[in-house]
Amino acid sequence: MFSKNKKIDKLLTLYVPLGMLLSFTLFPLYWTINTAFKPEGDIMNRPLEYAPLNPTVENFVMAWNNVGFATFMKNSLIVGVSTVIVVLICSTLSGYALARYQFKGKRAFMLMLLCTQFIPRSMMIIPLFIIFKNLGLISSPLALIITYTAIEIPFTTILMSGFIANVPKELEEAAMIDGCTKLQSIRHVVFPLLLPGIVATGVFTFIYTWNEFLIALMLTNRQDRFTLPVGLSTMMGEFNVNYGALAAGSVIALIPAVILFAYAQKHLVNGMGGAVKG
Amino acid sequence: MFKSKFRKSIAVSTIATALLLAACGDDESAGKKEVSAENGKPVKITFWDENAGPQRTPIWEELISQFEEENPMIDVEYVGLPKDSAKSKMDAAIAADDTPDLASVQTSWLPEFSIREALLPLDDYFADSELNGLINEGALNFNKDIVADKKLYGIPYTQNLDILWIRKDWFEEKGVKIPETWDEFYAAAEAMTDKANNRYGYTIRGGAGGSFQLQRMMYAYNGFEDYLTEDGKATINDQKNVEFIEKYLSLYEDYTPKSDITNGYKEMIAGFDTGVVAMVQHNIGSFGEHKEALEESQFQAIPLPKSENGNYVAEGGNTIGISIFKGTDNPDEAWKFAEFLNSAASQSFWNEQVGQIPTNSDVLKEDWIQNSPHIQTAFEVYDDPNTVLYKPPFYLPEYRSILDGTVDSGIQSVMSGKASAQEFLDEWAGAMEAAQAKYSEHFGK
Repeated sequence: MFSKNKKIDKLLTLYVPLGMLLSFTLFPLYWTINTAFKPEGDIMNRPLEYAPLNPTVENFVMAWNNVGFATFMKNSLIVGVSTVIVVLICSTLSGYALARYQFKGKRAFMLMLLCTQFIPRSMMIIPLFIIFKNLGLISSPLALIITYTAIEIPFTTILMSGFIANVPKELEEAAMIDGCTKLQSIRHVVFPLLLPGIVATGVFTFIYTWNEFLIALMLTNRQDRFTLPVGLSTMMGEFNVNYGALAAGSVIALIPAVILFAYAQKHLVNGMGGAVKG
Repeated sequence: MFKSKFRKSIAVSTIATALLLAACGDDESAGKKEVSAENGKPVKITFWDENAGPQRTPIWEELISQFEEENPMIDVEYVGLPKDSAKSKMDAAIAADDTPDLASVQTSWLPEFSIREALLPLDDYFADSELNGLINEGALNFNKDIVADKKLYGIPYTQNLDILWIRKDWFEEKGVKIPETWDEFYAAAEAMTDKANNRYGYTIRGGAGGSFQLQRMMYAYNGFEDYLTEDGKATINDQKNVEFIEKYLSLYEDYTPKSDITNGYKEMIAGFDTGVVAMVQHNIGSFGEHKEALEESQFQAIPLPKSENGNYVAEGGNTIGISIFKGTDNPDEAWKFAEFLNSAASQSFWNEQVGQIPTNSDVLKEDWIQNSPHIQTAFEVYDDPNTVLYKPPFYLPEYRSILDGTVDSGIQSVMSGKASAQEFLDEWAGAMEAAQAKYSEHFGK
């Protein structure tokens, strides 16, 4: 009796809500994939096709070759990877300083970092445009890398300082007693323990750069320098939305993010746990 | 030992990053050098397309390659902008003084761009051009009329017209007369409704963008030429319009699907294309979508019913043109390209693919036009000497936001019975009049 009740309880409180949440989250994804494999003529058909009746990969071929997704993807990767590298180096070092040292104005500094997050991105467009125009960097991936890095560093610094604060200071001290220098103790003791945090921060930064649309559109004046989100948005004309290619493009754009998450998932959960505990 | 290794790895990653960044930065100048390396220096001009997409981008690319073949000394770079962000992208470019050489610009943007002194007047170029006399006079004059200094800032290469798309096969099946007057329109909406079979006579766009369609229907009915009179009064809350709104929006639910109250463009068109509604008001630009879903024998374009005065009334400025930006270093080359895009051959190619109306009169005799009934319908309206083009105040900076904000939600309030037609129109008129007063004060008009 008791065990039966327990089972029902578990079903009602765990599996049913989880199942509902899951279907709610996964349905758009399923529909995108479903649409991506349908030929153009079948997409708007009624009754709706819940699985492609005439599956085809033509949408993928079209998105990749004709629409220029290969180029958009390359641009997104250059911007994403470079930003992640710079952000990780800067935020690990500044995060360390915030976590380990006491200095004058530390609180004010933290507050300032937080305040930068309150500025709406769209307000920065014209000033950014003018700055990069004067630097001759309009349409250069460098403009996006610099902007994204500047936008991401404050938050990732705070995030990293949380991770670093979680690594017991005693471990470093023990390493130093054994003869390590400060840098060596960071490199050999703190760094390995910090890996989950670094992965979490890296993934977070990468996803942001991967999805960012507004700044990428505004700072790029050349078709062959567009990033994926900008390229995707040009698939929707005023009277003509190429749903098949749009869905195929979205699936292509999802792939790196999914691979990254699959790989980083374990670290990510550890990392986030660490940050919350801090 | 450890120390040197760690330093090395930091140094290596720094150099790698620097190299990567440098590589990103260098590309552009390398590209430029390539262009000017040839003898005689080909000139590079940049063209922005304000409505890029899988349908239009290849058309522009084809035209550009034809132009470059004819003019080997001019290199055109195409940049396709997503429709929803094109205006803000151009705004930012104008603010930062980094505009392209020329662009495809919607007529309704001309007043604002010209006030900001971003565009090059094209009157002199046009006067000396072979295009002179070929481009639709009405459209050209409209472009001059709406800007403060009455100069020509855009050469329209395509025009559009709001019409009714109807299910011809259903009308024939039921023996209902295709509407030509407003009474016939209302009668058809009623006669074509068969709720038991999930069929409705008409569909109203109650969601985003509904204001534009309602405005065009309303002026088609009332026959007014002025949107705002000389003394700054709006004709919007005229009694004739109150009467119209009451009757038109009362179609909701009785003869239209219930979901109309949130209908955007896609939902509205999907209703027609999937066989739920018999009539939908849109423009001839959606021909391509209907053709994909329906047989050509199943649907047809008809003009909006004539006004009480017996003439067609259409919204002016329903065109897109080529504008040259003041910041260009190569105005002559830019004009050459603008001229090419407006030639009969280019306009014919572009408009045939997109399914809109060319403005170059030389195109009108071509076969594809003679064989496109929906284009013929649009011509019927534009060529009728009694047709009136009313002028919405595109020059008001708030024009668009009033329609998107006040009017779109106002339509929903009337449809859901929360506001009366009079209240809704008073609010709309008040907002336009206030915007006009502010504008007049600022520009001393």
